[in-house]
Amino acid sequence: MLILSIDTSCDETAVAVTKQRRVLSNVLFSQIKLHQQYGGVYPSLAKREHLTKIEPAINLALKRARLNLKQIKALAVTFGPGLPPALEVGVNKAKELANKYQKPLIPVDHIEGHINSVFAQNKAGKPVRDFSFPTLTFIISGGHTELVLWQNHIKYKIIGQTLDDAAGEALDKAARLIGLGYPGGPIIERLAKKGNPNQYPLPTPMLQHKSLDFSYSGLKSAFKRLVYSLSEKEKNQHLADLCASFQAVVIKSLLIKLNLALRSNKVKALIVGGGVSDNKELRKQIRRLVKQHQIRVYFPPLKYLTTDNAAMIGVAAYYKYQKGIYLKNPDQLDRIPRANLDVYV
Amino acid sequence: MRVIKLNKKNIKHILEKIKLILVNDGLVVFPSDTVYGLAANALSLTAVKKLLEFKQRPKEQSISVVVKNFKQAKQFVVISLNQQNILKTLLPGPYTIVLPSKHKVIKKLEAEDKTLGIRFPDYWFTQALSKAFPFPYTATSANLHGKGPHYSISSLLNTLSEKKKKLLDLVIDYGILPRHLPSTVINLSQPNLPCLRKGDFQFRLIKKCVSINEDQTKQIAKDLLKKNLSILKEKSLIFVLQGDLGTGKTIFVKGLGEFLGINNIVSPTFVLYYEYSTKHKFINKLHHFDLYRAKTKQDLKVLEIEKLLKPKNLLVFEWGEKISSIFSLLKANKAKILLVSLKEISAEQRKIIVYKL
Repeated sequence: MLILSIDTSCDETAVAVTKQRRVLSNVLFSQIKLHQQYGGVYPSLAKREHLTKIEPAINLALKRARLNLKQIKALAVTFGPGLPPALEVGVNKAKELANKYQKPLIPVDHIEGHINSVFAQNKAGKPVRDFSFPTLTFIISGGHTELVLWQNHIKYKIIGQTLDDAAGEALDKAARLIGLGYPGGPIIERLAKKGNPNQYPLPTPMLQHKSLDFSYSGLKSAFKRLVYSLSEKEKNQHLADLCASFQAVVIKSLLIKLNLALRSNKVKALIVGGGVSDNKELRKQIRRLVKQHQIRVYFPPLKYLTTDNAAMIGVAAYYKYQKGIYLKNPDQLDRIPRANLDVYV
Repeated sequence: MRVIKLNKKNIKHILEKIKLILVNDGLVVFPSDTVYGLAANALSLTAVKKLLEFKQRPKEQSISVVVKNFKQAKQFVVISLNQQNILKTLLPGPYTIVLPSKHKVIKKLEAEDKTLGIRFPDYWFTQALSKAFPFPYTATSANLHGKGPHYSISSLLNTLSEKKKKLLDLVIDYGILPRHLPSTVINLSQPNLPCLRKGDFQFRLIKKCVSINEDQTKQIAKDLLKKNLSILKEKSLIFVLQGDLGTGKTIFVKGLGEFLGINNIVSPTFVLYYEYSTKHKFINKLHHFDLYRAKTKQDLKVLEIEKLLKPKNLLVFEWGEKISSIFSLLKANKAKILLVSLKEISAEQRKIIVYKL
C-alpha cells in the first residue's frame, strides 16, 4: 500500500513515500543533516517557510520513489503536536490533495510517528523487527519527553511526560549557558566524553516523586547558578566537566523513570526514539538497564529516523489505515497544536 | 583531472602542486580529519563559483572555510574575548564554529544571516596545507549536493560524470579515511535582533513584589489576568515576560493557564509557540510563545503574529524583549501590553515587576 506522508510540525518540511513499512523516498527540506556534514552550518529558523517548500518537497519525494500521485493509495499528515502555522501548511496541503485525487486521508500524531519510526525499513525490507505488544515507548527529543504504553497498533497511553522543558531542550539550554550556541545536544555529548561527570554535583530532577513525570526547570536553574558562580577562566578550563556533569544527571533522570516504568508495567519490549535517543552514552545505559529486565530494546534503525521526518508518519499511517482509521471527508481535519495521542487514535 | 597518491615522502611536492592550483582558482580534493574535502581559494570569486558549479548546491547554503590558526580566524570572523577562550579549549578539533563574518571571504560562502563557518582541524594534512597556502580555503565535503560524503577516492569518482571530473583539477588520494563523525556545528553567533531598551517605549510601573515560591508566582499571574480581563472584550491582552533562563517564566504562564482551566502547559521553546483553547467567556485562545530560538525578523514573520491580534486572544511571550520590533508590531492599538520582569533573588525567591506600555 503506497502512502504519501507530510510532516510540517516544526522546522522541517518533510515528505515521504512508503509502502507498508518500507521507505521508498524520504525528503527533508531543512537540510540540517546535510549541513551537519563537513563544512555544515545550521540554517536559521527563517528557513521554515513551509509554504514555499511543500510543493517541491512532494514532487521530489514522488520523483525519487518513481511514482505519481495517482498511483498513491492514501495520504497521511501530522496534525499535531507542533507549531500552529507550520502544522497548518501540511494539513491544508494534505486535505487539498486528498480532495483533488479522491484519496483517503490518514491523520497521524507526531509522537505516534516517532514511536513507529523504529519499525521503518529500507526498500529491501530491512531490518526485520516484529511488533510485540504491550511495548513501552520512550520518546526523548528537543520538543518531547514522554513515556507511552503501547497496547496495540492504535492504542496508546501516556504514563509519564515532562511538566516543563523537554530533555533535549534542557541540554540545548545548558550548552547556551556555557556559551556553546544552539543546538547544544550534540556538542554537549562530544565534549562530555572528555569530561568528569562527577566534577560538579547537580540535583537529579524528580528523584523524590513517585510519578513517571519529568521536570528540567529546577536542574536548569541549578546549572545556571553553578555556571554563574564560576570565573570565566574556571569555566573554560572545565567546559568538558560541565558538559559531562550535566549530561550525566539528565541521563540519570531519564533512566530512573524508565526503570520505574519498566517495573510497574509488564511489557515485552522497549522502544526509544527522538533526537536525544541518538546519544551514545544514553543508549549504553538503556541497553544495560533492559538487560536486567530481560526485554528487547529498539532504537530507530537509521539516524534520520531519530529526528523529525515523514517516513515515520507513513509507517504509523499504514497500520492506522489497516485498522480503519482514516477520513473519508478530509475537510473534517484540523491541526491540533497540543495533541496528546488522544485524537484520531 | 589528475589523481596523486599521497604518502609522507611526497608531501612537499604535493603541497607545492596544490598551492599552485589554488592560486590559479582550481579545485582540489583533499583528505581531512572527517571525510574527503573540496578545497577552493575562499578569497577568489572564480574559484568559489567553480566550486558551486561542481556541488550544485542551493544558493542559500553556506560553506565553511579552513583557517590556519586563531590569528587568521580573527581576520575573517568577529570573535569576542569570551568566545576566544571557549575556542581555545575546543580548537583545533572536529568542530565547525559559526560566527559573524567580517565579509572578507567571497560572500557566497556566508550564510544568509551573514555568518561564516570556520574550521581549524586537528589534522596534519590540513594544517600543512594551511602553512603552504596563506589564505583560507573551503572545507566542504567532496560530494554532490544531497549525496553522502566520501571516505575513499574510488567511491567519490564512481559518483561523478566525466563533466564533473573535468571540474576537479587535482585529487589527493590518501586511501580509505577512518570513519570519523562529521564535524559538530557550534553556532556562537549572537542573534542579530535589536533588544528592547527601556527608552524605546513609555513604560509605566504598575506593580512591584517578591514571590517566595512557584505557587505565589502563579498566583501573581492569576491576579494580573483577573484585573485585566475586561480589556479582552475589545482587543487582545499581551504579557511579555522578561527574565533569565530559569527565573520562572513558564511557571508564570502555567499560572495563567490554571486560571483558564488549562493544565498541560509546557515550554514551547522547541516549536516556538503552542496554542490552547479555553472555555473562559472572555478568552478563546491562549497563545504561548517562546522566542528563545528566534534569531531574525524573518523568523517572526512566519509566526503571523498580526493575525492573532484580535479580541478574546491572550498572548504570552517568553523572551519577547529580545525583539523590540515586536512592540511596534503589537502597539498599533490592537492590544494591551504588560511587561513582566522576573529576577532571581535566591533559589526560590523572585522579584517581579510589572509595567504597562
